[in-house]
Amino acid sequence: MGGAVVLNRLPLPAQLDRTVTTGGLLAGAIVTPPLIALIVLRVLGNISSAQMVWWMLAGVIVAGALGAVTLRNVVHSALALIAAAMGLAGMFLLLASEFLALVQVLVYGGGVAILLMFGLMLTNATEDPVVIDGSQKPFAAGVGLILGVALTAAMLSANWDASISTVVDFRDLGARLYRDFGVPFEVASLVLLVALVGAVAISRRDNDDDNDAEAAS
Amino acid sequence: MIPLEYYLVLSGILFALGFYGVLARRSAILILIAVELMLAAVSLNFVAFASYMDAELFTGVIFAIFVITIAAAEVGLALGIVLRIFRERRSANVDEASSLKW
Amino acid sequence: MSDLNFNYALLLPEIILAATGGIVLLSDAFRRELKLGRNMLPWITVAGAVLATLASVAQAGIVEDFAGIVLVDAFTTFFRVLFGLTLAVVVIGSHEYVAKQIRGQGEFYTMLLFATVGASFMAMSTELITAYVGIELLSFSLYVAVSLAKSDPRSGEAGLKYVLLGGLASAILLYGLSLVYGAAGSTDYATIAKNLSEGRDGMHAPLLMGLTMVIAGLGFKASAVPFHMWTPDAYEGAPLPVTAVLSATSKAAAFAVLLRLFGGPFLPAIADWQGTIAFLAVLTMVVGNLIAIQQHNIKRLLAYSSIGQVGFMLMAIVTISDASTSAVLMHLGGYLITNLAVFMGVIAFYNQTGSEEIADMKGLAETNPFLALVIAAGLFSLAGMPLLAGFTTKFILFQAAAYGGYLWLVGVAVVASTVSLYYYLMVIKQIYVIQTDGSLLDPQAHDVVVPRWRLTWTGYLTTATLLVAMVVVGLWVAPLAHAADSAAKALFG
Repeated sequence: MGGAVVLNRLPLPAQLDRTVTTGGLLAGAIVTPPLIALIVLRVLGNISSAQMVWWMLAGVIVAGALGAVTLRNVVHSALALIAAAMGLAGMFLLLASEFLALVQVLVYGGGVAILLMFGLMLTNATEDPVVIDGSQKPFAAGVGLILGVALTAAMLSANWDASISTVVDFRDLGARLYRDFGVPFEVASLVLLVALVGAVAISRRDNDDDNDAEAAS
Repeated sequence: MIPLEYYLVLSGILFALGFYGVLARRSAILILIAVELMLAAVSLNFVAFASYMDAELFTGVIFAIFVITIAAAEVGLALGIVLRIFRERRSANVDEASSLKW
Repeated sequence: MSDLNFNYALLLPEIILAATGGIVLLSDAFRRELKLGRNMLPWITVAGAVLATLASVAQAGIVEDFAGIVLVDAFTTFFRVLFGLTLAVVVIGSHEYVAKQIRGQGEFYTMLLFATVGASFMAMSTELITAYVGIELLSFSLYVAVSLAKSDPRSGEAGLKYVLLGGLASAILLYGLSLVYGAAGSTDYATIAKNLSEGRDGMHAPLLMGLTMVIAGLGFKASAVPFHMWTPDAYEGAPLPVTAVLSATSKAAAFAVLLRLFGGPFLPAIADWQGTIAFLAVLTMVVGNLIAIQQHNIKRLLAYSSIGQVGFMLMAIVTISDASTSAVLMHLGGYLITNLAVFMGVIAFYNQTGSEEIADMKGLAETNPFLALVIAAGLFSLAGMPLLAGFTTKFILFQAAAYGGYLWLVGVAVVASTVSLYYYLMVIKQIYVIQTDGSLLDPQAHDVVVPRWRLTWTGYLTTATLLVAMVVVGLWVAPLAHAADSAAKALFG
């Protein structure tokens, strides 16, 4: 009751607050037990802090990925993808690649999120009353399961001679990226140019192109 | 210390989920989102290998930078094509783009 | 790390192509200020392609690496010349088509130029990151070019299918590459080869998984069955010149990467991938040639026929060696000439009639005997008839596979090749045997003498050159064989 009163006073659009309340409560109910378990394990000393953070991030990533491929609302699905990407940025931090974590946040949290939202708005995909998923879901689930099991088995059966991870220095990274890999860097800039020019040329209307003929005649 | 296998298994799960998404979804934008998940799994793999097994040269981190860059460009390009198709037929569903048979 | 070689002159052909792309793009955007007509754009493109080809020929004798990630040698030069000439021929032969059927001509030519840059980098890279970025540059340019047809809804659809499936294939390829990187500890081809031949313990499962995924991803780019589902749709929906580039540059570049990878870094692990590729080769030959029989659209027919050709060429990867590499390079050369001849013929036919149905080609022998000869010769060459390029190179390819110890594979290939003759003959029957009723050229003109029509001079130029090249390669294969031999030697040392 008290929560509802507070919610009513918040300057939220009327539609949003119900979504926020139910979504928040649901998420809290799902997230809290494993979180408590992790903290208890940490306090008892069974896992290290890094491992506790790893499990939290893994939870975010897997939940985000599951949401991205199962949710029926396209906007929610896109948001779930962003959540998974942010979890991944945290993983990059754990793996001592700060630069990559920054790039991940900027590119996915900024660029891709906004691109997807624009795409969704321009195509009105949320109002599309069509069925989102095909009838091939069971087949897809089977294939996905087999692939996941095969990959996990391959990863676990290998004998990686892994050493401890080290922090990648920004200066070394710059030298590697811009000097040693200067050529692919330049080629990647061409890829970006192609994507830019291509997106404009494709989504332009057909008749934009013809005024040239009139001007010439 | 976190064993390398943790990251690898997580990336395998992520990749499989993305693959499921590509097969199960029918909206072009949702397929695109699933492909992005698969590419995220790839970059996790690269960075994990780089920081555990290739700490001096960290080539995997470089590779991951390229993967992220090109994945973002791909979203932009694919949305451009989706927009055009949507304008032509008011739908972003792959099933309805069927004047070419699969 | 300071001993890297930064001799930028090595990249001159790619720099020329990319710069031409920029020039074309800008001169299209500022054509009013510069007082340039749009009809200048194809000639700028051709000039760039020819210059780049000359620059790569000038580097013929060099063996030098750039920063340890790309290598200029005879193999690189072979593919650079192939790509440069393909681009020049496609642009000369199709500029009338482009002027009518393409929206954004400047963007279109830029995409073709950048696609060629990407293909060059695929052929010359000796390191996975560069190879991957090259693959993406080629694919992205083609995604765009496929979708640029004016007022044809099939084009956007083909583009969408191509970009989504292409993204999926890239993701699979990349995951495979990441596993290879984990198992071999490097992205440099030479280092991978060294580490794999030393054979680290307990890496077998991820390596096998990684190689399989790399084969799947590259198989998609080369359109090997069962990763071919995009090919017929993209071919049909794409504008004709792009279909020609898809079947020529894109395939050749995919094989350049396959040869560099499986002839070098992955060679120590040959037991892990030989069977998989042999299986793909059989499937590709059989399925491609069987489905081609029931096609009625010439683009789809050529799509399936090119899938069948990929199956033949995959045999050379199975039995990879000095000799089979040389054979597949020769076959690529012959296939490109032949295929471009057919496509240039079809483009000229489309410019006149606006049709791409095989049934509409009936009576072409009467209305345009020269074009009928070019298309028929091209189809015969694809089927592997003597005197033409396709026979010689296919024979050498089959021979190399047989020497490699895969006699059963060659048996399947011969049967598939015979099947292919059937559907090529069906087209030739339409052209030479069935009489035209003239309805296509003029709906009112039933039962009258059908007028002959002529090609434009650029149409004559490209088709005649390719026809001559087809016959010359068929009769006197030595120059091509020499180039292919030195390229193969560069790869295998």
